[in-house]
Formats: sequence, structure tokens, C-alpha cells
Amino acid sequence: MTAVMAKAMKKSGWLQLMLFCWPLLSIAADWQFSTPAPITKAVGQRIFHHLESAGRRSIAYSGNTVAVTWEDDRDGTPRVYLARKKLSDPGFTAEIKISGNGEAFDPVIVGLGDSRFMLAWEEDGQVLLRMVGQNDSAPTVKLSAAGSQPSISRYGTDIVVVWSERAGRYGQIQLAQIAFADADTLTIKQSCTADIAAAQDEQLYPAVTAIGERLLVSWEDRRLGHTIIMAAQGKPCDLTPPRRISATIEQRSATYGKGHGVSRVALATFGADRVLATWADKRDFREGYDIYAAVFRLGNGFGPNMRVQDDFGGVARQWHPTAAGHPDGSLLVAWTDEREGNSDIMISVFADGEWGEDIPVPGASGAGEQAHPSIIFDDQGQLHIIWIERDERNGPTRLKYMMGTLTTE
Amino acid sequence: MRFAIKRQLIFVLLIFVSLAAAAEPPAGYPFLAFDEAMQQAEQQGKPLFVYFGRYGCGYCDKTNAEAFSDATVKQRFIDHYILAYVDSESGRRLRLPTGERITERELGTRYDAFVTPVFSFINVNGDVLARLVGVQRVVDFLDADKQVQDKLGGKGS
Repeated sequence: MTAVMAKAMKKSGWLQLMLFCWPLLSIAADWQFSTPAPITKAVGQRIFHHLESAGRRSIAYSGNTVAVTWEDDRDGTPRVYLARKKLSDPGFTAEIKISGNGEAFDPVIVGLGDSRFMLAWEEDGQVLLRMVGQNDSAPTVKLSAAGSQPSISRYGTDIVVVWSERAGRYGQIQLAQIAFADADTLTIKQSCTADIAAAQDEQLYPAVTAIGERLLVSWEDRRLGHTIIMAAQGKPCDLTPPRRISATIEQRSATYGKGHGVSRVALATFGADRVLATWADKRDFREGYDIYAAVFRLGNGFGPNMRVQDDFGGVARQWHPTAAGHPDGSLLVAWTDEREGNSDIMISVFADGEWGEDIPVPGASGAGEQAHPSIIFDDQGQLHIIWIERDERNGPTRLKYMMGTLTTE
Repeated sequence: MRFAIKRQLIFVLLIFVSLAAAAEPPAGYPFLAFDEAMQQAEQQGKPLFVYFGRYGCGYCDKTNAEAFSDATVKQRFIDHYILAYVDSESGRRLRLPTGERITERELGTRYDAFVTPVFSFINVNGDVLARLVGVQRVVDFLDADKQVQDKLGGKGS
């Protein structure tokens, strides 16, 4: 494009160039969003919904169905729920309770095709797994007796779950590959630690995604005396030694502290062979968290760290990054942003190696507080987004959903 | 000679131990989890002093070494406040008096602890009485304590 434009300019001058560019300038891509819809009717003075799972995998797409999982404590105990909606339907069906009798937290979900889904969550210190769609009463499978913070991904015809396993003094990232013949027959094919070396400090909040026959696993790691983001890739239980992907920043003091803070990595596969890792990063200590990312390409490893938010994010705080990728190469990050003085959901699109301008999501920005987004693209490239909404900082919450479509004018 | 080597080894060991413990709440202070501290504050009718820190935080480490090490600071803060420590990156779960469950990380954002350290003096209703951001010296802590105690009608001494 640039070469063609340069050639046109050289040959025919500015007027021809402007005429050449005119039709292109008038074709501007724009996101159009549906009206926000409630996901659950369970709202009230002492009801608080949570979307804070590792990797922010709280929404999934399968067949013609979108499914959302969350935790709330409507009956006084934190429990995990699931609500679904057909794309053509205006609203969600009544939710079903996924967890058992224990205190349940941090559910994650992945689509399996044919409107089936797999969920993993933490309950009473265990990591549990359950499939829904064919049989909503399918039994629960225990993956860990001492784990937390699960995250999940499809891996070919199987799924992979990662979590932080309490082993001795520290949490260590554990991985399991699971086959699902049907809802009642989940088979753990193999299970191992993501890093074969013994944990030197806490390993927390993992995320996982597949790129063809390979997996990328990323997590928070405190081995250097402060929190860094590390990643390993390869086949399940045959991963490379992990390497740090959040950049080293020069310290202001040689005496005090070990380094800046980062938290909560999320992953999204996009195109044929790329993965985006995004996380909240405090490298500029005066601004609180900013949203940073790095792109992994098969054969090349990770590229440099990039700041996702634009310069207008300034000294405002950003957190809760979530990413959605599509096989056609589309990639989008959403996060919570306070630049307008209240808490809004913002998005940025990655194209041609650069992040676009930040867009406050209509319906998920403005008065009140909108936070904790989770996003996914469906097969057609439509964006599905959920978030937590509340009128005031300590008030009760509502769970909202919206669909975004990229249009050209 | 042997004694000198032994002393050097002990010195190196002490440095190692102090580095390993860096950016944790300062030793010798009865810091509690935020929700436990809120309960105790209500029972004892005392305000809270909340330390929002982070693992590996240099300014926390410096404040621990240069201000919390002071005996007067220690005595006044233990006498006047219920002490709470919040790791602003942690997923540790807390229960607020409103009934809301929240992680330490989210609590940090709730109290605007977007940098670390932040020190908040909070009454039992959750209202912030005073707030200190960044590295603190002994005099900063003692001044803040006096202001808070004056505000509460206490002696502040």
C-alpha cells in the first residue's frame, strides 16, 4: 500500500494521490454494539458477581451458543453458575448451578463445538471439571486436591487445564490434558508441572492457549523476588523451560526492592501461528497499572513488550486485560480504564503490528462503574463481551453482556 | 581469624534472610489480614492503619528499614491502631463488612492504592482519615499519627 502510494505520488503528484486515496479514506471500520443485556436475574443488595478467573476465560462460544460462567454469593456461599444464549435469542436462559456444596471460585469455560462447553473451577481448595451441553447433570471430575486458579483451552480434540497446585511451600503451575468422549467420560491423558524445575517461589494465575499442535502456558512467577510473567511452550508435558516475557526494567535503588510488579496474564491465539500475551504492568510506578503485551510467533518466540493503551491513558489506571483472537488474524484487547474519572471498559485493536486508538465501549462506559471484562470472537468474527457493572463503588453488582460487530461505512 | 570468618558468614546469612523477607510487612508488628483487622477495629473501637504493599516493592522495603524500625513509631502504631497488611497483587480473598467478597488486589484498587506503598488510616466505617503515598520517614509517620489522633480527639502522643 505504501509503495503504491509513493509511486502514485512520484508519477502524478499530490492531486492524483488524493484522488487515489479518497475511496480508501471513506471506508472506515467501526465497531457497532448491541444493547447491553443482563445475564442473570439474581441481583440485589447483598449480591456480588465476580469475573476474576485466571486468564479471564469467563465467556465461550460453541455452535450457535454463547455461554457465560461466574461466581456469586446470592445464598450466602460463593457458588459457580452458567448461563447460555443462542445467538439468535435476545436474552439468556435461566442459569444453572455448576458447583457443588462447597465454596466455589474462579470458573473458566471453553467451547467444545455443538453447543457443548467444558468448565473448570476451584471448590473447597480443589480444582474441578465438568462438561455441559449434552447432559447438564454430568458428573464432576476432580483434577486436583490442592489447587486453585484454573484456566482452560481446547487442544485439538482434547482440552488442557492449567492451575496453581499447592506443593509444599509454593504454588506450582500444573497442567492436565483431558479427552472427552462424552459428558460422562472425561479421561485425564497426562498431567505434569509446566516447569519441570522445582518452584523457587510462588507460581500463580496461569493462562493457556493452543497453536496447532503446540501449547503456550504463561503465569505469574515470583522467583526473582518480585512478580514477573513467564511462559513455556511445546506439547503438553513436553514444554520448553520457561522464559521471562515481561521486560526487565532498571531499578531505581540498588539497595531496596527487587523489581516492578506485573499481574494477571491473559492469552489469545490469532492468525495461523501467533499468540498475544497481555498483562497489567506497573513499570511506570507513578501511573499504577498499564496494559502491556507481547506477541509470540511459532519459530520466533516472543517479540518485545508493547504498551497496549494509547497515550491518552496517561496517568490513569488500567487493569483486568482480556484478549480475543481469530484465525483470520483479528486481535483485540479489552480492559478496565479510569481515564475518564470513572471505571470504563475500553478496547484496542491490533492491526499491522500496531495498537489502534483506545475505544470506550458504548454501553460499558460512562456513569457508574464498569469493570472486569471478558471477551471472545465467534467463528464469524463477532465480538462477545461481558463485564461487571455497579452504580457505586461499594454497591451491589450486575452482570452484563453485549455483542460487537465490525462494520464498514 | 576463625572468629572473623564466622562473623562474616553470619553477616552474609543475615543479609540473605533480610532480602528474602523484603517487602513483607515489617517484622515485630502485629499486621493482620484486612477483614480480620476490620473486625478487631470494631471490637476495640480503634481505627485501622492499612499498609498496601507489593512483593518486591523497593519503597516498601525502604520504609520498613528506615521508618518502621523506629521504636516510637512501633509503639504508637501498635497502641493507636489495628494494623492490616494488603498485598496489592494478591488473590487472597477477604470479606468486607458489606458482605462483598473481594481479593486483596481488588481492595487495593478500591482504596486507590495504585502505587506502593500506600498507608491509609481508616475508621471502622471504611472512611479514609489520612493517606500517605510512597516512601515514609519516621517524622512522616509520627506527624500523620498526630493528625489522625487529633482528628479523632485522641492524645496523639
